[in-house]
Amino acid sequence: MKQTAPTSLHVAFAALGLAFLAIFSWVLFHEGVADWRTTQARFRRIEATVKNPHQLAAAASVGGLRQIWLPELDRVDRCGTCHLGIDDPSFAGAPQPFSSHPGTWLTTHPIDRFGCTPCHDGQGQATDYLNAAHQPQPFVTRPMRPLETIEANCGACHRAIDAPDAPRLDEGRALIVQSGCFSCHDIPGFDGLTFHGPALDSLGSKVRPEWLPGWLKNPKGYLERSKMGNFRLSNDEITVLQAFLLSQRAIPPLEGMTVDWKKADTANGRALFGELRCVSCHAVNGRGGTMGPELTRIGDKVRRDWLFSFLKDPHRVQPETAMLQYRLTDVQLRDLTAFLLEEYRSGDTGPEPPPVTYQDARAVMAGRGIFERRGCTSCHRLGAMKNTGRIGPSLAGIGDRNPDELAFGRGNVRRTADNYIFLKVLHPDALLQTSMMPTFDFAPIEAARIALALASIRKADLPVSYVRNRPMPPPFTPAGHFGELVTRYRCLSCHSVGGFGGTLSTVPLDRIGSQLKHDYISKYLLNPGAVRVSVEARMPFFHMLPDEATTIADYMTSVLLDDTLDRYDATFSEADVQRGQDLYTQLGCVGCHQLGTVGGYVGPVLSDVGDRLRPGWIAAWLANPERYKPGTLQPDYGLSAADARALTAYLSSLVDGGRPKSAEQGGRQ
Amino acid sequence: MTEKRDGAGDERPESPDLQRRTIFTLGCVGLGAATLGFGGATVRYLVPNVLYEPSRRFPIGNASDFPAGSTTFLPERRLFVFNGPDGLFCISSICTHLGCNVRHAGAGFECPCHGSRYDENGRVISGPAPKALAWYAITLSPRDQLIVDLDHVVGPEFRLRA
Amino acid sequence: MKPPLAHRAAEWLSSAGRSVFRIGWPQTDKDRAAAMISSFFLHIHPARVSRHVLRPTYTFALGLISAILFGILSITGLALMLYYVPYPPEAYRSMKDLQFVVTFGMVLRNMHRWSAHAMVVIVFLHMCRVFWTGSYKPPREFNWVVGVLLFLLTLGLSFTGYLLPWDQLAFWAITVGTNIAAYAPVVGDQVKFLLLGGHMIGPMTLLRFYVLHCVILPAAMLMLISLHVWRVRKDGLSGALAQTGAVEEVAGVFPPSSKTYGLMSLSRRPRASVESRDPNDEVFAWPHLLYRELLVALAVLVVLHALSLIFMAPLEEIADPTRTPNPAKAPWYFLGLQELVHYSALIGGVIVPTLLVVALLALPYVDRGPAGAGRWFAPERRMSNTVFTLIAAVLVVLTVTGTLFRGPNWAWVWPWR
Repeated sequence: MKQTAPTSLHVAFAALGLAFLAIFSWVLFHEGVADWRTTQARFRRIEATVKNPHQLAAAASVGGLRQIWLPELDRVDRCGTCHLGIDDPSFAGAPQPFSSHPGTWLTTHPIDRFGCTPCHDGQGQATDYLNAAHQPQPFVTRPMRPLETIEANCGACHRAIDAPDAPRLDEGRALIVQSGCFSCHDIPGFDGLTFHGPALDSLGSKVRPEWLPGWLKNPKGYLERSKMGNFRLSNDEITVLQAFLLSQRAIPPLEGMTVDWKKADTANGRALFGELRCVSCHAVNGRGGTMGPELTRIGDKVRRDWLFSFLKDPHRVQPETAMLQYRLTDVQLRDLTAFLLEEYRSGDTGPEPPPVTYQDARAVMAGRGIFERRGCTSCHRLGAMKNTGRIGPSLAGIGDRNPDELAFGRGNVRRTADNYIFLKVLHPDALLQTSMMPTFDFAPIEAARIALALASIRKADLPVSYVRNRPMPPPFTPAGHFGELVTRYRCLSCHSVGGFGGTLSTVPLDRIGSQLKHDYISKYLLNPGAVRVSVEARMPFFHMLPDEATTIADYMTSVLLDDTLDRYDATFSEADVQRGQDLYTQLGCVGCHQLGTVGGYVGPVLSDVGDRLRPGWIAAWLANPERYKPGTLQPDYGLSAADARALTAYLSSLVDGGRPKSAEQGGRQ
Repeated sequence: MTEKRDGAGDERPESPDLQRRTIFTLGCVGLGAATLGFGGATVRYLVPNVLYEPSRRFPIGNASDFPAGSTTFLPERRLFVFNGPDGLFCISSICTHLGCNVRHAGAGFECPCHGSRYDENGRVISGPAPKALAWYAITLSPRDQLIVDLDHVVGPEFRLRA
Repeated sequence: MKPPLAHRAAEWLSSAGRSVFRIGWPQTDKDRAAAMISSFFLHIHPARVSRHVLRPTYTFALGLISAILFGILSITGLALMLYYVPYPPEAYRSMKDLQFVVTFGMVLRNMHRWSAHAMVVIVFLHMCRVFWTGSYKPPREFNWVVGVLLFLLTLGLSFTGYLLPWDQLAFWAITVGTNIAAYAPVVGDQVKFLLLGGHMIGPMTLLRFYVLHCVILPAAMLMLISLHVWRVRKDGLSGALAQTGAVEEVAGVFPPSSKTYGLMSLSRRPRASVESRDPNDEVFAWPHLLYRELLVALAVLVVLHALSLIFMAPLEEIADPTRTPNPAKAPWYFLGLQELVHYSALIGGVIVPTLLVVALLALPYVDRGPAGAGRWFAPERRMSNTVFTLIAAVLVVLTVTGTLFRGPNWAWVWPWR
């Protein structure tokens, strides 16, 4: 022990004491320059430049951490600590992070109920830029979503198929519905939906044998819009599958009757093709509807006898088809069939092939095995074969899958759950060597939309009060003769009742009896003319019997009613009609509607609107067109009650080519 | 020898070595300041920066939810909201005596627990209550919501003209 | 102001002060001795200590640093308890709150974390020091045993604390750690069941670990530390007898000892340490010892603060029992064992740890020869020192290997790649 030791101890003491002070000051400094504190200081400086900042922001300028605590969602969002003007419109256009939230999102989603991270993701508890995970951060499972894919989070609550204001999500979900992904995968939110390919019970009598291998190899080669995926089958597999499928001949096509094909008149067939408005549902050469399969190369595909019998009674040959049953004579059917097969084919297809007779039992069995293994029964019904159910993995909670668990393979790809889903949808066998999933040849943008819709399917369930479910429309199955007619003419393939049915028609039938007059309905069904010239998809010409039309009109006008429309007082005075006529001119209705020989072609023709529409409906429609048909072009003029009434009186008086008839008549049915 | 003696008692106040004393004092100042700061920091640590409780500033609805002349009791917020002739105002329903909910009786209020009675402005008429019922400010948010701030106590002349 | 009043006020104040601090600032040697003896806290030191005690190169103050770390851990731990909720999802959330919104919360947590790691290291080094100086020789055999128990307690405290953040790191480290424990023969599974409060790590486990970490183990630690220090106090620091030089340096500074140690006749010890020491080799604990202790404490505080400001305590994603990170690693001080378990579960999980603990506990009763005690690497103890050093080195190498050189699937990785 040296004598100078005490002095060195003092020096050590002084050094340590000062070091302690210094390091402690560093701690204080560290706390004082926290990201959020400097940000709030910045906010206080710009706050003065904002005109009329609201008191909400004023309160924020006092400083301190601001958080939204949502115990129901198990979230704490402190984004408002820096995003101080987010809920105050007067900060619109302020520099970030102080700018107010764009759009009306915070009006529909109050920030004190929804917070921030349910939509944006990121680490809501954090109080600095990095840790809030504006960019991906280590150990943050869900960094903030870029705006590109943010709609995936809309879908977490908005379980309805069409989420409002989320076009990308909407698109993705529509693609899932169209592509029938839920046939093979269990996808929450799509329960109860069904997706069917045609039943294959009598495929052997339906298609030409030489067509089938090409189809199985690549469905898109025949049909650009085919919903069937490419199963990437080997040639051997195709051979045995073909043997199995062609051996299916459960329903004989002609049932003993014979058709004299030599007398077929294709010119008559062509006329019928136009008259029946086949293109409303079927496209030819790329133009036409999409509900039925495209007919451009149907001559390559189907047998003549089968097509004849299908057109004659589609519901016997294929019970699940959306195709309606026309009331045609055998001659008309023959001409139409001949026309279709000759007109729409890629080349000379040669004579009608003889029935398939060969039966290689071993190939058939092998084909059956492939049919079952690849899950064909998920979409196609085939006799007594059991539906193998959903052979794909369940997609429940796929949006929460951790990238670590996903098999990305060795490829150099971005390892996020979103990207995994995207790649799997785009190229099912891209990541794994072998995948059972067929390739659907989605465009990258479509795959991205589907991936977005799937990313909205989360593991954790939200409180019921946050979830907006899809209301399941009650099925509409009328009984009796009317019910039979609805089945025969497949009304619900295009029209909907109570949300149940097709969407091709823009006219739901819920209140049709209060909208249209009885006589007009029956007359229209017998000969559906063009009410609206500019619309492509029109009612087909059913060749309906008069008493069938009357039955339908009877049912509609006594059942499919809307009280609020029927209670309208339809006794108009002459003055009303006169005033209505003036209004018609003033409002410029003529710009869109045709009356007599003058007028535009955008809206329906009004020449005989008084014969067609009930006054109650006209009045209701004029008062609030958006209510009955969202997105309609008909403007809402905000008419006063008296004006609306006058216009209704005038329109109701228009019968027979646009000549107003007397007011008394117009008021009665 | 003196040097050696210092080894045993260097921080004695009568120590002649000024330099050593200075150094020692320096250390003491550093340590003392840090210790004081430490005490302050401890207190600061104990002050919570965020609260896991309902916000003290909350929306109570639109002005249209409170028709003119109406009295609305919000049981979860323990507030009476009035829409009087001059505008909106709100009075706490918490009795200033021991915190029971007061009832709106006649024009004024009365507490069922110990019989305190208040007039229509919440001023004490009788009973053990020590002071008047609290009035809170109501403001209008940018989205036309009425916002009550429990940290903003106002006098009985307060009215929000909606 | 009247002087008498001021005078009386000063009188009153000083008497109040004396009621608390009986001695006041010691001015005389007598006071210095009294200051130590009359204070409950300072009484753990003798009034006078051997100069040898103050030599930093003998002990490196490792025991003192361990005690200081325990103090820091207790204080920071208490502070953290104010914000911590020992229930699964909230536990993790409170960690995030400490990180993001509690003033000084992050520094405090970092400090707690790094102190805990440091304590494991320091206690281990302390044990090595005691071995290398042969300080477990009689009469200090039992204190060695207490020391071994304290080391195990330190590991236990660190291990139980490891789970509390309830993140992936915590969850899987404890999963691996408790499964190593389950290799114990016969009772392994039962021990694991009791430890976890169930078959898997869940809310019950967290609560158990919390209580162990915050109440049971610290209480046991405090008791054993008291015992440990009390023993040191009674037996004196080892090696005082071996250091017989330098007496002349203090000759004449202290009066010759005239004290009679009457009470020492009660001692059953054959050689009460105080009697056998040369009084002239001693200095007063106040200020020499206390001052140095203060400096060490300050140094530790400064270093820990600096560490806590620079290095953040890890916090990964919230614990997810369905997702095992690869590799799942036990806390680093068990990675030597995990490395062994990798080769053989029986050796790593059962034989090695059991043998190590038994050997450590039995050591002072096996190695009883007094030769070489009180000196670093005494030549008389070359054999035992070599064996001990080898074992310690192997453990360190295994631990370093497990910590730094093992990647996914426990495959060898180079940490700098």
